[in-house]
Amino acid sequence: MTLRRYGTLFLFFLILLSFLAPLFMGPANEAVAPPFSKPLWLDLGSARPLSFNVKEETLSFRWNDKPPTTFSIEGTVSFESPPKEAFLLLITPDRIYKLADFSGGQYFNVDIDSRDVPLKFYLGLDPFVDLPSLVFSERGEYKLTVKSDSEARINLKVAIHVGRWGLFGTDQRGRDVFRLFVAGIKISLLVGISATIIASTLGMGLGLLAGYIGGLIDSSIMRVIDVLLAIPTLPILMVISGVWGRGLWQIVLVLSIFSWMGTARVVRSMTLSLREAPYVENLRALGASTRYILTRHLIPEALPLLLAQMALGVPGAILAEAGLSFLGLSDPLMPSWGRMLHEAHVFGAFTSGAWWLIFPPGFGIVVICLIFMGIGRKLEEQADPRLKESLKR
Amino acid sequence: MMEVRSLSVAYPNGVKAVEEATLTLSPGKILALVGESGSGKSTLLYACLGLLPRGSKISGKVFFDHLDFLSLPEEEQRQIRWKKASLVLQGTMNAFTPVLTMKRQFVEAMEEHLNLKPADAINRAGELLKEVGLDPKFLFRYPHEISGGQKQRCAIAMALCCNPDYLLADEPTTALDVITQAEIINLLKRIVRQRNMGMLIVTHDLALATSIADKISVMHQSRIVEIASSEEIVNRPKHPHTIDLIRSLSMMEEEH
Amino acid sequence: MIEEIACSEKVTLVFDKKTEAALTNVSFSVKVGESFALVGESGSGKTSLLRLLLGLIEPTKGRVRLFGKSLDEIGHEELRKIRRNCGYISQDPFGGLPPTLTALQAVLEPLVVTHSSLKKDEINKAKTLLSDLGIEESLWNRKLIQGFSGGQRQRIMLARALITDPKLLFADEPTSMQDVSTRWDLVNQLKNYHQRGMSLIFVTHDLLLAKTITQKGIVLYRGLVCEEGPTALLLTDPLHPYTKALSAALPRLGRPIKIKAKRKPLPSSWEGCVYFSLCPYVFDKCKLPPPLKEVKDGRKVACFLY
Repeated sequence: MTLRRYGTLFLFFLILLSFLAPLFMGPANEAVAPPFSKPLWLDLGSARPLSFNVKEETLSFRWNDKPPTTFSIEGTVSFESPPKEAFLLLITPDRIYKLADFSGGQYFNVDIDSRDVPLKFYLGLDPFVDLPSLVFSERGEYKLTVKSDSEARINLKVAIHVGRWGLFGTDQRGRDVFRLFVAGIKISLLVGISATIIASTLGMGLGLLAGYIGGLIDSSIMRVIDVLLAIPTLPILMVISGVWGRGLWQIVLVLSIFSWMGTARVVRSMTLSLREAPYVENLRALGASTRYILTRHLIPEALPLLLAQMALGVPGAILAEAGLSFLGLSDPLMPSWGRMLHEAHVFGAFTSGAWWLIFPPGFGIVVICLIFMGIGRKLEEQADPRLKESLKR
Repeated sequence: MMEVRSLSVAYPNGVKAVEEATLTLSPGKILALVGESGSGKSTLLYACLGLLPRGSKISGKVFFDHLDFLSLPEEEQRQIRWKKASLVLQGTMNAFTPVLTMKRQFVEAMEEHLNLKPADAINRAGELLKEVGLDPKFLFRYPHEISGGQKQRCAIAMALCCNPDYLLADEPTTALDVITQAEIINLLKRIVRQRNMGMLIVTHDLALATSIADKISVMHQSRIVEIASSEEIVNRPKHPHTIDLIRSLSMMEEEH
Repeated sequence: MIEEIACSEKVTLVFDKKTEAALTNVSFSVKVGESFALVGESGSGKTSLLRLLLGLIEPTKGRVRLFGKSLDEIGHEELRKIRRNCGYISQDPFGGLPPTLTALQAVLEPLVVTHSSLKKDEINKAKTLLSDLGIEESLWNRKLIQGFSGGQRQRIMLARALITDPKLLFADEPTSMQDVSTRWDLVNQLKNYHQRGMSLIFVTHDLLLAKTITQKGIVLYRGLVCEEGPTALLLTDPLHPYTKALSAALPRLGRPIKIKAKRKPLPSSWEGCVYFSLCPYVFDKCKLPPPLKEVKDGRKVACFLY
């Protein structure tokens, strides 16, 4: 009971997170750190990543740790007048690295990454050398300066990465897993809920039609249901999403086409039994029209059950979406949880032990499914008080 | 002699269903327990046999021929129940398992309580059915193949299978037609006289009670408010509730 | 002004060709302002007859007239209009009420069916009806699914049937679950409305109750009319052997029940009197079906004794 309440609270928290967190974070698809960086909280005692926005000519900082994994300097440097001699220097305790030469020009775009081979050649180093461990081999005072004979306007971003990043680390493209995870909440819920709503509406309409009108309409709807139920869903989904494309709404449509049958069956059987219920006969004896009976009694009676069915259907849709995405049948630019698992799998996260790529989306799927199952059970109980009684015992 | 001495029953939710009920029932006699719905009459009957929901509080004593029944451990109660005093269930409702033939149901009951071999049990069941006015062929039928009145007869036969000294019947004729009801009532009367058993019959129908029972006890709001012979109850009711009941019944009969 | 409010003309009803007919050749008519009883035990076809009269099922043969109109000749719309002049209390108080409504809503529903906005005095009327029938105010807004006893439900059903001031009320065993004391509330309410001009068709297995509430009635046995006449005489001076048994089997205050009946099944494809196997007066002629004939003072009986 309490678990269920916490579950619902947690769902609200997730929804809130999916809306608020992006306001404070950059886009999910942006690479922010070296690939496969571990989550920050792993060894708390060791070095922290540093990043600076540089406006001054000289930036000095201390480095008191093991060498970082990478460092990068990005941004622009411009001069009042083209300098005769100007350099970007990194002064370490044991030597001076000339990272860039600005001589003779006026505007420069700086894009230096410690992994770049041209940089290593430029510094006169072997292309296979690990630059950060060479540069940051000593502990002490470090300085980054633009040395020139002209007035310089500097706008540089310096980042020193230590192989650990953010709450959930980074993926194979250096994207923040936490950002991807947050973006995935929205996608998963959107796909899950909208597919179920479409499926339930479809199921309810067809179920009511089949149950109340009966005859040829009933049997043809039921045969369609039989056929759809007999088709193995996943292969068909794969084929259809291959043909229709990999967008979000294609997936929603495909999922809803293949998940309305259960609801239709439930609604139909309920309508059938209600149609013969003594009180419906009683209503007809009062002179009530079919429309009155349908709108005032059958639909309100069926609605709670339908809501429960919907809540129970959401996990199915989320799982199916994750399944399709895991198989690679989703938009690569759309960061859903299934997609995250797919990429983690493709880029060998499973074998290289990059568990932080697997757990967040995996747990996300499991938790959201459990929460919706809980909500569905709760609604089912309210729809059918007998169930509540039997659970109490 | 069956005696109930100041029996009180409270349900697990604290509702007092029976308060300070005292009754005596001699062999060969019929005592009717009459009351409206919710008066506690059925609870009293089930309490006499120790068949109440777990957590119910019972105080007071029930004696079957000086045997203090309620103080016995549960297992012994179970063994004695059918032999000493047996319950006639509402046969029309759900006294029988729908998926077994009557034969199986009889044989299982008798194997359990009398340690009879199946062949003997079938013979005995046939005799019992004859006693309640049914053809032994009925043993081979399923409950749904039998009419309501016949099911009630089977339920009576089932209650008789361990030769109990007392029969406790809970609304044995509810949901039966008047003619069938009359037949069942006459059957019960005959069996009680022939076997010299004591019978406690619970019913909501005072008219029915006065036509079958020697003595009637009227229950109202979980208390027994009046115990008297049928004749007394009809002609000289004392408690206001009984007077009300008799009046509304006689209004039906007399008014034109 | 129509003299006759409901009428069944030689109605035969067969549910399934393999089984016996549920009703055979049943004719009777109810006049305006009359209260009429259909008496019989379960399976005698009395409930089917009631549903036929309301047009809920159609007869295999014969025809049913309601308010002077033959039900097989009018369309849906007209049938609905006719039904709105009728009240109906179905046999099963548990299934017969919509479970999602509250007690008060259920009583008001027949009004909602005809016009969607309720007037204040209509609500007050519903409240008066409920309290007259002994449903306490604390229960009015409780949902029907939340534990009402069968007796309470029957009283709610009666209030629901009476709220529209029907010209004709169909009541199917409306007091079967009542205690002795509450039964009178229902009976009085029925009589009250009857005195104000409502016609009543009352289904029961209890001759005593039939006598208390109605003036005239028919006794049905296995889908056939055995006897027709004033209900008081059906009870005190029954003619047909079956009516005699019904009357004798009724438990009455302080009187032992005297009835001798040995039930034997009828031979298959039996064409004679359906009461043959139980009748104490059987003679040779009974192997033919007895016609329903008038005996005395408007009483009819289907038995060769008369």
